[in-house]
This record gives sequence, structure tokens and C-alpha cells, in this order.
Amino acid sequence: MPSDPPKTSGERGVTHLRVVDTDSYTDWESVYRDNVERLYRLMYARVGNRADAEDLTSEVFRTALGPLRLASSKGEVRSYLLTTAQTVLASHWRRTLGAPVTTIDPESAMASLAEPSGTEEPSDAPQRARKILAALPERYRRILELRFLEACSIKEAAQAMGVSVSNAKVLQHRALRMAAKAGLEVGQ
Amino acid sequence: MTTRRLSAFLDALAAGRRPRPFHADPEDVEMLRVAIALRAARPGDAMPDENFVAELHKQLAEDLSPSEPTNVRPLKMRRSRAALVAVAAGLALVGGTAAVSEIANTTTVQQSTTAVPQGQALRTASFQSPTGQVVGQIVLYHGHTSWVYMNVDLPHSNGPVKCELHLANGEVVAAGTVQLHDGSGEFSQRIHMDAGGARGATLYDSSGAVVASAIFI
Repeated sequence: MPSDPPKTSGERGVTHLRVVDTDSYTDWESVYRDNVERLYRLMYARVGNRADAEDLTSEVFRTALGPLRLASSKGEVRSYLLTTAQTVLASHWRRTLGAPVTTIDPESAMASLAEPSGTEEPSDAPQRARKILAALPERYRRILELRFLEACSIKEAAQAMGVSVSNAKVLQHRALRMAAKAGLEVGQ
Repeated sequence: MTTRRLSAFLDALAAGRRPRPFHADPEDVEMLRVAIALRAARPGDAMPDENFVAELHKQLAEDLSPSEPTNVRPLKMRRSRAALVAVAAGLALVGGTAAVSEIANTTTVQQSTTAVPQGQALRTASFQSPTGQVVGQIVLYHGHTSWVYMNVDLPHSNGPVKCELHLANGEVVAAGTVQLHDGSGEFSQRIHMDAGGARGATLYDSSGAVVASAIFI
């Protein structure tokens, strides 16, 4: 929120201020071009599938661009897009699963929105995935790698691991549950 | 059955398809969070498709073109309410204090400068705390039936927060009570009044103290 006080670190008297881009956009198209890729990536990292990420990105722009004031700085416009994205994502989860599975943290998301477009690996998703997998026993790690990183069907994953489909499903379930219980910070 | 639906959701996620909705329990949510984090790390999928970017640009151009008002594309109904709340939230950031918008027709989001047709309209405003922080949004719909929707985010607060609407004729009307859990709450309900006559809204905690207010301009 705009009126939030700046965050203060544990070190007394040290305040971290966020650098705000004071340039302005000239028209809605420049807002779109500069942010569509970033917003898509943001959404994709939080829903994990292209169809939903595209829908949510569209919804953010459809909602935000109409009342947008171009006189605002780029930083303010991005904050506005981000706030809209937060609400759109929260509504998506409420509608589809009835609970906020993932959220958007304004501070970290703002940093990612400010990154240059076109970066191949802009998010920390690979790092988070490695952290999750590293916390699991070998067989649990392997089933999750096969399923979610290598896009194997449950049947293919079962074949690759030399187990039955039922066993593969049980392994997958237990692996996800163990990773979830490990309390890893994977939601953002 | 949650387990079967959870499995179906995971299958879709792994295959890159759109997962089907189901009511997830807290344990499901934790597991899905892990699965999404892993799926999102798959190399090459995180960039938007060029066709999607081009098509969305084209659709937005039609939506935003002032010379072709008949080409405004309607939002799907299921999205309209969330979209309006997002508008309110966004306006609070861009417009500064007491950001307000009037948007015609629940199925269409138009530019805030568009004239509001008589009869049916949506009005939104942001709640601000006495210290100036935006702590929620309120949306009023007035048409054949009228309703109010609001969400409130007051960290460290719990329990009921009462909302009153202030009308142009000086009347004050109770609009409902938001129950806060861990600082957050939202609710919507039908109201039996002309929402178009509302000029502002005030939130009170259980002791009667004002916790936030909003102004419809």
C-alpha cells in the first residue's frame, strides 16, 4: 500500500527505501508493452499453468488500464498493476479452490516488476524448486522431478521408476505432503 | 472426493493443462503450493506466448478505443466483481486519497471518464484509516436490485466491524457487518436503498470507534 511506512531492518536506525522509477508512460500501449511479460511471469509462477496465467494477466490489464492515470510515475503504475494482480489472484483461488494457495508479496513482486523484460530466468522459481527437492528422500525427489519438471504422466513416471501406477500416485502424494510439512516457503 | 480431485488437479498441472476447480482442504492447499512451485520452475514455460501477447494487445486496443465505444468487450460475469474490487484497490494507489470510480454495467469495465448511464451503475471507493492508510474497498451496485460489497484489511484486528453509509440527504444507513479474522474480512449483501445516493461510508469497531472511512465523489 502506498502509505505503508518503509520497512526498517533489525539494525537500529537503518531504513531501507525502495527506489521508485519516476519516469512516466506516454500511453496505455507503453504500459502494456513494458509490463505484460513481467505480469505474465508473476502469474505463471503462482498458478503453474499457461491457461490460467494468461487469463489472469488479461484480467489485470482489462481491469487496470481503464482507470489508469498516465501522469503517474512508472513506479506508481507498476504498484497499481501489482495491487490489481494481488486482488485478481486472490479472487482466482477463492473461485477455484476456496483458499489462497499462492499470494503476491508486494515487496518482492515489485522488485521483479522492475527487472528488465526478456530475462530468461527472472524468477526465483528454480531456486525454490531445488530447495524443495533437496529436502526430500531420493524416491520422493525423483517422482516429483518426473512429474512436475519433466512433464511425465503418472504412467510414464511409474515406468521410469519401475513401480506400479498406484505406487507412483502414493509416492507423489507422500512426497508432496512431506515437502509441504517441511514448512518450506514456497507460496510466494 | 478430495483425493481424487486433488489427483486430477495434479495431473492437469503436470501436463500443463488448466486444472479443474474443487474445494481444497488445508492439507490439499499445502501440497498444491509445492506442486505449483515445482511446475513453475520447469524451464521454458515461464515466458508468455507471442500470440497471447499480440491477441491481448488487440483486444485491449478495442476495449480502450474511445472512437469505437460499441467495441468494448464485456468481461465474463464471474470476473466482474473481483475486477471491480481490483479497480478500487488500484485507484487508491494511483488516485491518492478517496479514490473513486463509477463504472457502468456489471459486465463491462470502461474508462472512469465514461459517462455513467442512468439506472444501473457501480460505485467504488477506498476505505482509509484515520492515519491515511488504505485498509479496504467498498463497491455499491445500484440497479434493479442493489448490493454492497466490501473487503477490509486491518492487521491485528478481529471481530465485527460495522459499516454505515452516509446518504446525500443526510440519512445514515446500516450497510452490514464485516467479521474480521486475522485482520481480514469481506462480505456482500443486498441493500434496500438507492445506492446512487450514497456519499460516503464509515467503519466502526465493536467499541464504536471509527476505524476507517470512504468517500464517494
